[in-house]
Amino acid sequence: MKALIFIQIRENLVEENTLGVLNKLIEANPNIEIHGALLGNQIQNEWIEEAGKHGVKKIHIVKASELEVYLSRPYVKSMLEIIKEIEPDLVIAAGTVYGEDLIPRLAVQHGVSCAERITDISFDGKEISFHTPVRDDQAMKISKIVGPIKFATTRTGAFFINENPTGGAPEVMEITVSFDEEDMIVKHIEIRKAERTVNLKDAKVIVAGGRGVGGKENFQIIKELAELLDGEIGATRACTDVHWIEETYEIGQTGQSVSPDLYIGAGISGAPQHMSGIKAKTLIAINTDEGAPIFNYADYGIVGDMHIILPILKKKLES
Amino acid sequence: MKIIVFIRQIVNPQVKLKGVDYFDTSRVNEDDLIINPNGKNAIEGALKLKEELGAEVTVICSRGLKPNKALREAIAMGCDNAIEVAEEFFYTNDPLILAKIYANILEKIGEFDLILLGVEEQATNSYATAAMLAENLNLPSVLYAEEIEIQGDKLRIGHVLEGGRKIVEMPMKGIISCSDSQFFIPRYTSMRGILTAKRAEIPIWKEEDIGVSASLVGEDAASLKQVSLSNIVIEKESFIIKEGDPEEQVDKLIAKMKEDGIKLGV
Repeated sequence: MKALIFIQIRENLVEENTLGVLNKLIEANPNIEIHGALLGNQIQNEWIEEAGKHGVKKIHIVKASELEVYLSRPYVKSMLEIIKEIEPDLVIAAGTVYGEDLIPRLAVQHGVSCAERITDISFDGKEISFHTPVRDDQAMKISKIVGPIKFATTRTGAFFINENPTGGAPEVMEITVSFDEEDMIVKHIEIRKAERTVNLKDAKVIVAGGRGVGGKENFQIIKELAELLDGEIGATRACTDVHWIEETYEIGQTGQSVSPDLYIGAGISGAPQHMSGIKAKTLIAINTDEGAPIFNYADYGIVGDMHIILPILKKKLES
Repeated sequence: MKIIVFIRQIVNPQVKLKGVDYFDTSRVNEDDLIINPNGKNAIEGALKLKEELGAEVTVICSRGLKPNKALREAIAMGCDNAIEVAEEFFYTNDPLILAKIYANILEKIGEFDLILLGVEEQATNSYATAAMLAENLNLPSVLYAEEIEIQGDKLRIGHVLEGGRKIVEMPMKGIISCSDSQFFIPRYTSMRGILTAKRAEIPIWKEEDIGVSASLVGEDAASLKQVSLSNIVIEKESFIIKEGDPEEQVDKLIAKMKEDGIKLGV
């Protein structure tokens, strides 16, 4: 079984979900031969070493100024060249925004579909089963792909990273790909980086708000409760998008990943994009909607209005 | 300018049907059907562009479960035309099958500029159709859009990115998948819109109208096949306080956590 993984770089490091996928692949199939695709303008040796340590045996590099930032067409073109070269059985990427953009396109170019947002994978000879949780993680869909090459993306935050990887230096191969004007039809303008002034990674307690908070001023009670509990505040992308709270507090797939002892989610529905960033020992949910998915993740919950519940909770904890 | 919006009708996630029951269409009432939330975001995007560019917006729904309700709501929001596509033998568990159907629909429509879809379908978590359609049609595309701005004859699009937002520029003829950002928060239907929607004639295109057959879009044609669907056994026991006076609810929560030995507070 030969797998090709799209190695993603974020903040100048191999992105952690990519490392998680590598760990999962090796755990699910110890005999798997893992190839990595590393695309960019400048490729750093540290990335190659890191991927090797986590189990990538051969790294295929495409270097070009057109690959400076991810854009669908030049990345698809480069990946197709690598796939042609190594003929993998499986092409996989962590389901980041770029991973989810890339994989379906590669699949279509090979005339097949792809498995989406998997949280588990199992191998039986050349057969691969892909597990995708559906209906707010209440049900598991298992799918197979008919075709010589299988394509899949994983859900971010689904896999643990091997903390003690023992892999060696991978073999490195470089492929040259040329690009034309048509490949660059979508133009990169800029990346507006969210300011990350607060690190939530080590926070023991987080009180977070979602769309249900309803406005900037309503974040006050979240702040007060967080302060009382000696914790940090957090928010969903919906809140940072409308500037109810600074974007540094965004938690989830596109924000920060957190693993507090206690997480209180108020007015948060519990979309996978948010929940995938949270590994809490204890999770308390407060939401007016009894059917909100966050209650499926919660250890404790109150079906009620956070604007009423949180002040009461604060008052009782103070006394 | 002609904008096409593809939406899907889904079972309202608020229904009490848990796990696999949610997908059992025999348990679903017509009243439980809604436009997929991200699809509604796409409609809003189209209407915003219509206001600025004077575009004609056609919305298409291919769900077999009485799509008219979704389409009339889309018209009430401000879309100009709606087309219902009967999907008797569509295998909709495969995003590529949907992309193929959409490509056929677009071929029948003939003239179009921008195509908008929702980022993903709630409940199934399927997101791949937009990218697959773009590859099928060889059109430029941007996924996970959070805002669209018109820049001369181009569109400047901000899209979701881990740790921020990325801005790209794309020609007007292309495909965009829309997220639930502030920019795409759907408007309410107007009284006038509702009246227009009531009177609107919504054609139904059958499989033969768009040139697809079971051999192209049925289960046998699918390359992604669902092998099984089963309930996930949740081992964790949740203590959810559903009823009571807020004071009582909070007291219960604090008492239960104390009993479980979990520290809440300093």
